[in-house]
Amino acid sequence: MLSSTIGRLTGSDDLALGVLGVGNIGMVHLKSAHSMPGVEVRAVADALPENRARAERAGVPQTYDDYTTLLEREELDAAVIALPPFLHADAVERAAVAGVDVFVEKPLARSTEEADRMLDTAREAGIAVGVDHTLRYQPDMIGVKSEFEDGTVGHVPYASITRLNDGPLGRPPVENAPPSWPLDPDAAGGGSLLELGIHCFDVLEWLFGELEVQDASTDSTLDIPVEDAATVLLRAPETETSITLHCGSYQWEQLPEVNTRLRLEGITGTISNQDHLPQNFYAGAAKSALTNVLRRFTDDEPDVFGPTFYLQAHYEALSAFCEAIREGERPPIDGEDGRRSLELAETAAELAAEKNTAELDPVEVTR
Amino acid sequence: MDRSNTVRATLVDASDHRGGWTPTLDARLSALESPVGEALGPVLESVADEPDRITIVPDAHYPFHPSSGMVTDPAVVGAVLEQLSWRTDATLAVAGASTEYMPFERTAAYLGYPDLCERTGAELVDLAPESGDGDTTRHVFPVDDRSVAVSVPERLREDTVLVVPSLRPTDEGHVAGGMRTLGGFADAVAEPAATAVAATRAIEPACCLLDATTVYGDEPYAANALFAGPTPLVDALGASLFDTGFDDRAIELAPDATETATGVEPDSGSAPQIRVDPVGRAATDPTVDFEAQLDTLRTRLQGGTLPSSDDTHPAVSIAYRLYAAVGGDAVPPQLELRGGS
Repeated sequence: MLSSTIGRLTGSDDLALGVLGVGNIGMVHLKSAHSMPGVEVRAVADALPENRARAERAGVPQTYDDYTTLLEREELDAAVIALPPFLHADAVERAAVAGVDVFVEKPLARSTEEADRMLDTAREAGIAVGVDHTLRYQPDMIGVKSEFEDGTVGHVPYASITRLNDGPLGRPPVENAPPSWPLDPDAAGGGSLLELGIHCFDVLEWLFGELEVQDASTDSTLDIPVEDAATVLLRAPETETSITLHCGSYQWEQLPEVNTRLRLEGITGTISNQDHLPQNFYAGAAKSALTNVLRRFTDDEPDVFGPTFYLQAHYEALSAFCEAIREGERPPIDGEDGRRSLELAETAAELAAEKNTAELDPVEVTR
Repeated sequence: MDRSNTVRATLVDASDHRGGWTPTLDARLSALESPVGEALGPVLESVADEPDRITIVPDAHYPFHPSSGMVTDPAVVGAVLEQLSWRTDATLAVAGASTEYMPFERTAAYLGYPDLCERTGAELVDLAPESGDGDTTRHVFPVDDRSVAVSVPERLREDTVLVVPSLRPTDEGHVAGGMRTLGGFADAVAEPAATAVAATRAIEPACCLLDATTVYGDEPYAANALFAGPTPLVDALGASLFDTGFDDRAIELAPDATETATGVEPDSGSAPQIRVDPVGRAATDPTVDFEAQLDTLRTRLQGGTLPSSDDTHPAVSIAYRLYAAVGGDAVPPQLELRGGS
């Protein structure tokens, strides 16, 4: 709730937080929140016993097997919604009833229509909505923005962004049953555009201002019911930049590498996010680790997930949200931002679908 | 049953294709049509005489993209189905087995098998031991001087079976092969290698067609090759290409299976005698040096293993947890001890 003081429900100085869904990303949020000064994780909810057990091992005092009960029983200031997309709207509605601000994992919703309903509900209840678009918090993206703002390459006529990852089917060896919802268009709202592209749209508008989607194509490398690859042509009128975006959930991900490339081709040179990443991941991680250990001896706060820049970005995103809630301010990346990225992804999906339909239409032969 | 110690080998002409993978199924089918016919050769004629049902058993254990070499290319299966549909009125089927991670129906759908089967009217069946689709029968075979009992789908015992494995390592570092592909259908308490050998004896596949069009060693490689012959023999060839040699337990257990399959007694020790017989383009195209291509394949596969687990290397995980304890940092969920504190 956009109140100026925290603890309106809890009577505590700490921000009382609940985490709804502690799968992979929910667990990152939980660990982030646990390490955050001024934040107290009161409870988590997850349908899977193994996830609840993991949260208990991480020190969570109370776990629930469904988020509805958690929101009814716990006195919270804010909740992290890290559930599959088809549950976001319901979770926001229930948080609204409880008067709890929410930090929603991306995509905010499965469609702009659903997002509008969620945001109306939130507005009527007076709760704040933040969205977890983490790319803006990654040091490499911050480095690119800083160089761009400084005009180090002059005018930028062209930019490109690529974000690749493995999809739910992963890579060998097979060790887990893949979840079915990411490949279900009704449950996920779409494929790669909503899973990965949505991050790219957000970071591109953050860099270049309002974007126009000019063209798009989507593809599936297997016979799956959602796209696992998408290419989008964009235009940024304010900076007069043409942009290509490619996202794909088809590549075998090799941790700790994260396959995101952003290049701004300017008049006097190129700005690349690769120039703002450690040359050697392990050497960079070791340096961060050493810095954190030294901070402990000097009583300074360590960087949470210090050696892993992409997890650190999740920490920073949640921390910025919590700070805004604490100060009674609008979250730095709010529901409208989440909706806007969704709108761009939706437009791209519609353009691609029109093209696919046109390709399938029989050619009319006239004599 | 093919009773010889010869593995027929042929090459797929990929000279007019760009890149190592042709995404269009029809283009792959077209390129595979002749080589599949050449590799199967006389087997195709003999199985086509079978009056009832012919079942193809590909490596479809998980919906990995076929360009990774981690599963049989469905186009190879499609080419086999086409060849058979031209020669026989027998009912055709493609069989797979659900695993603890993935129902076969879903795997088959993602790999495009329903459309492929529809083209030749073949049926798609899940014959996993737990699927309840059809009866199983129990058989006992001597393997390595002990009795190994396996329950296999009765249907695979009744049908003429062509097993079509991919050329890749297993999680445990063995060659996936035809025997292990068939072992996936068996219910047994014995170790996997002995189960695979016993299942192969129970099912008695008519032939094994090894899909080496795209193989996986430490990375995919477009080898554009096909090998066909008795299943234990083809597996032994596959193992020798990985240079895992006869450390592979199933191959070690297979010489007598090889003898059963081929009627040829291994000369000495545990090594089955294999003769690779180039056919089709591998034998007739003057621009092709088949021996050199086989050497290249061996070099690309030598010592090949699957990627390490999604989890970070154990040493890194331990170092990170130690750092987190000393530095007061959080441990990323990916680096946590599973099931422990």
